[in-house]
Amino acid sequence: MGPLVEIAARLAAAAPRFLPARASSVAGDVDRVFAFVFWLSMFFFVLIVALTILFVVRYRRRPGRLEPEPSPSHSTRLELLWTAVPLALVVFLFAWSTRTWLSMTGAPSDGAGRPLEVQVTGRRWSWWFDHPGGKGAAELHVVVNRPAELVLSATDVIHSLYVPEFRLKQDAVPGRFTRLAFTPTAPGTYPILCAEYCGTDHSRMLSSVVVHPDQASFDAWAREGVAADGSLVALGKQVFARKGCVGCHSVDGTRRVGPSLKALWGREEKLADGTVAKVDGEYLRESLVRPGAKVVAGFADVMPPVALEERELQALAAYLQSLAEAP
Amino acid sequence: MTTAAADAPDRAGSYLAHGRGARSWLLSLDHKRIGVMYLVAIGASLLLGGVFALVLRLNLWRPSGGLVSNDGYNRLFTLHGAVMIFLFVIPGIPAALGNFVLPLQLGAKDVAFPRVNLLSFWLYALGAVLFVATLVAGGIDTGWTLYPPYSLESARGLGILLALGALFVVGFSSILTGLNFIATIHRMRPPGMGWFDLPLFLWALYATGLIQVIATPVLGITAAMGFLERVFHLGLFMPEYGGDPVLFQHFFWFYSHPAVYIMILPAMGVVSEVVSVFSRKPIFGYRFIAMSSIAIAVIGFLVWGHHMFVSGQSRTASVIFSGLTLLVAIPSAIKTFNWLATMYKGAIVLATPMVYVLTFFAIFAVGGLTGLFLGALATDVPLHDTYFVVAHFHFVMVGAVMTAFLAGLHYWWPKMTGRMYSERLGLVSAALTFVGFHLTFVPQFVAGVLGMPRRYATYAPAFAGHNRLSTVGAFVLASGLVVALYGLLRSLRTGRPAPANPWGAASLEWSASSPPPWDNFERTPHAPPGPYDYTGLRHVSDEVGWVRGEVTP
Repeated sequence: MGPLVEIAARLAAAAPRFLPARASSVAGDVDRVFAFVFWLSMFFFVLIVALTILFVVRYRRRPGRLEPEPSPSHSTRLELLWTAVPLALVVFLFAWSTRTWLSMTGAPSDGAGRPLEVQVTGRRWSWWFDHPGGKGAAELHVVVNRPAELVLSATDVIHSLYVPEFRLKQDAVPGRFTRLAFTPTAPGTYPILCAEYCGTDHSRMLSSVVVHPDQASFDAWAREGVAADGSLVALGKQVFARKGCVGCHSVDGTRRVGPSLKALWGREEKLADGTVAKVDGEYLRESLVRPGAKVVAGFADVMPPVALEERELQALAAYLQSLAEAP
Repeated sequence: MTTAAADAPDRAGSYLAHGRGARSWLLSLDHKRIGVMYLVAIGASLLLGGVFALVLRLNLWRPSGGLVSNDGYNRLFTLHGAVMIFLFVIPGIPAALGNFVLPLQLGAKDVAFPRVNLLSFWLYALGAVLFVATLVAGGIDTGWTLYPPYSLESARGLGILLALGALFVVGFSSILTGLNFIATIHRMRPPGMGWFDLPLFLWALYATGLIQVIATPVLGITAAMGFLERVFHLGLFMPEYGGDPVLFQHFFWFYSHPAVYIMILPAMGVVSEVVSVFSRKPIFGYRFIAMSSIAIAVIGFLVWGHHMFVSGQSRTASVIFSGLTLLVAIPSAIKTFNWLATMYKGAIVLATPMVYVLTFFAIFAVGGLTGLFLGALATDVPLHDTYFVVAHFHFVMVGAVMTAFLAGLHYWWPKMTGRMYSERLGLVSAALTFVGFHLTFVPQFVAGVLGMPRRYATYAPAFAGHNRLSTVGAFVLASGLVVALYGLLRSLRTGRPAPANPWGAASLEWSASSPPPWDNFERTPHAPPGPYDYTGLRHVSDEVGWVRGEVTP
């Protein structure tokens, strides 16, 4: 695979010039795969068209050449050749592309600091981004070279967050959380488009992502005009109280009817059936809709389902997360 | 030339003269008449879908749109997609050309179940009426993919229910056609014709039939579930009732991806026939081509998840779907190189069907190869739901399938109508469609790579150039189709009478007169030495066509 990657990487330098700018850590890798497929396709396209033209010119039926020349009606060796060569190329493409994709869609790598986590809400026809520290905005703010992780949801229909310069796209689906992790590599402002058809103003559901040149610039922006109680965490605390969760779940580690929520977020919990579940957004959603699905070991299956708006659920998640981060 | 006069087809006894009046057509059990009725209905659908397309392209002339409202645009692209896919491309080659040709290629008098065949036509017609009724009910703006929650929201009224009903009904038409073809190929082959003596068009129709019978019921079930969800709120697909919208996508693509192979396999069958006949040489590697049709049909069932790489489906699933998707490249490559090898050292005749097939090679190459970008995970993520996808599937579904449809239509036209079309107009139409097609869709690849999402009524001014080229191209393409239609219709009046075998083909349909008599063959013919064995065929004259064996002039 080594030499082929080498060749492909060289071809990538000669990649079609019309690709958008590259502004995320994966854009270069994606473009190299793109360039490989591009030149591979070009080769076969030119081969097919050239053979077609050559054969038509040479073997056209014309006076003096009314009958075909004798030639075999099949050749297993030749046919196996054009079975095996495309197969080998396709297997190579699959391996390379899949490896690239796994690194594109995995969790942000450790060592680069804690990712900047942003809650994203798609709704007709705008985006809303809840940043850490309670700053909500109609555009996304991230920091150059700091991994970012978006948790996407939608309140009405499916939308899809698409940043061409990042070479990334992720659907926001009502009723579940989806994730998109990336590391921006160039400061600047890039367009965000909605890529999943969502009705009248689908084509005007535009926003942008601002990549701050450093953390200080981001922090200054994030502090601007944030009311102390306007944050998701604050809203989550209200929801927690209002929905009566507090009756069974403590936040200080005291054991009540249900498990305490102190330092719960992100933990691996042992369940009644012997399996283990990670406490995250999906777990929270499932536990609210079907509380009996994954009961923590040592507790009774007595919790009623709790109906929440999408944003309340996000806020609750943010609140639980803040509990885990509290000293 | 007394022989020529004696050999001239006896139109008085042909299927066209067998009974007069609307009833004799609308209730006919004759596969040829049903095929012709399908052809007319499918032509009308192409016209309707084409007019929608031209309005869409005109609206995209300016970045801010303005010709129609955003909602109007959304309704137009929805119906353009639905009409073209369900009423033109899917039934196009199998139901119109297949119905006419299949029994003739078997030397049979009809399909296995003629009544079911008529039912299938009427279900198609009913489905088409329901689709048009959605227009009257205010149209639908859900996209042909009908993704919930959008499609099943209470705001979408009667239109969506009519559309789901139309899908259900049209689906049954397709299932019955597939079933009929499978049964006919199994049971009605003439003595001496084994499976590997079938014309490759029949292998293609057989593989298509398998997909129609196995995959299309899922479309019907999905439409029924959508209907029930919308009316009774069962909680299948709508999160607000406890359903999962991604589940719908799985159901939808479980049918709609194999449906792409329902479209392309018969097209490949036409190409296999035409390339051999007009190269005057047996098809190269018959068995590989036949088996690659079956391989495509089988693998085609297992790739639907490649439409959902960014939907939030499991990563494991995405990896498996990507691998299986890329495998489809192999049978496609086999077919392509075998077709090219068929031309090698042949005696290539550049008649209209062959010229269409030559353009098919270039178009299918692009359509297939650009599929690699979308089957590979890393490149699909940025390209998904952009104009790159629009261009890709138009290359396959419009470019390749429609080109093959036109090749097949010109090829079998003399058999269907008993008239030769004008070669000059045929060649002009092939050139215009080829140029227009590329002008329309090549700029869309570029716009997609640059990041223009699909289904946009308005767009960034940076894409104005791409869109204008595309709009100009669409009109060139349309003019090519108009020329083709004009050439074919004119031949009905002025075309020279067609001999039984104008192309020197070896398969059985060319041993019946043009047009064939009502019962096709007086007695069950014996299988020819081979569907692509041209030895002993001689061209006598334009009037007599090609005949096998020695003929005294």
